[in-house]
Amino acid sequence: MAKPKFDVGDEVRVRNQTSLFHTRTQKYTRGHVGVVSEHRPEWVIPEDEAFGRVEDGRKEPFYVVRFKQTELWPDYTGFERDTLESEFSERWLEPARKEK
Amino acid sequence: MPGLTYDQLQKKAKDLAPEEREILDSPYTISNEAYAALRWVLHDVGGQVDIPAPYLEKGEEPWEMNTYLTCECLGWRGAWNSEERRRRENDLGGTQYFGLPYYARWITVATKSLVDKGYITVDELGAKIDEIRERYEKGKQ
Repeated sequence: MAKPKFDVGDEVRVRNQTSLFHTRTQKYTRGHVGVVSEHRPEWVIPEDEAFGRVEDGRKEPFYVVRFKQTELWPDYTGFERDTLESEFSERWLEPARKEK
Repeated sequence: MPGLTYDQLQKKAKDLAPEEREILDSPYTISNEAYAALRWVLHDVGGQVDIPAPYLEKGEEPWEMNTYLTCECLGWRGAWNSEERRRRENDLGGTQYFGLPYYARWITVATKSLVDKGYITVDELGAKIDEIRERYEKGKQ
């Protein structure tokens, strides 16, 4: 099993990569910054599993990322501390700030 | 609905499509922006403009649970997986995706999947549906 690239507590940005067909990476999270809140077991990425490639699909670590609602929705009117969590395979995440 | 003409079926599907839209009839070219929008997978439902939806209590019906169990059994037997089901639901296109009840989407794509993989043929399935419909109609008399 691959060692996860990101630790719990790391700030990550969801990549805004072109996707052609099925993906589980919501459009509204793309380009936004959140904090890794949980590691999930390595599994076949949705882009492969969706086409029946369970045996030979590409496996990656998965992460739960916690976003501030105010980060996702600029006009959010709820409480400042409100959050939303979603799950991503490793390919969709990059460090929030580029390393120097 | 076997009694409906092509025109009636077309009108029915058009009325069911919930989104206001520009009429497109296989245009010769489209913009990159339009293509990006057309690739948007249908289950990705966060953040679209929408009106508040009423919250309605609804119990699960026997056909819904039968559909659920059938689809799970197909998974256990290795015929498909949940992610494939979701992808196939997206592949139904907007009119069917938003027009069908939740579990009707499941059973529709389960059928398509079994046909795609050669487990059943569409004419076998059609014949079976007609046979049961006929039996059902007779039973009502």
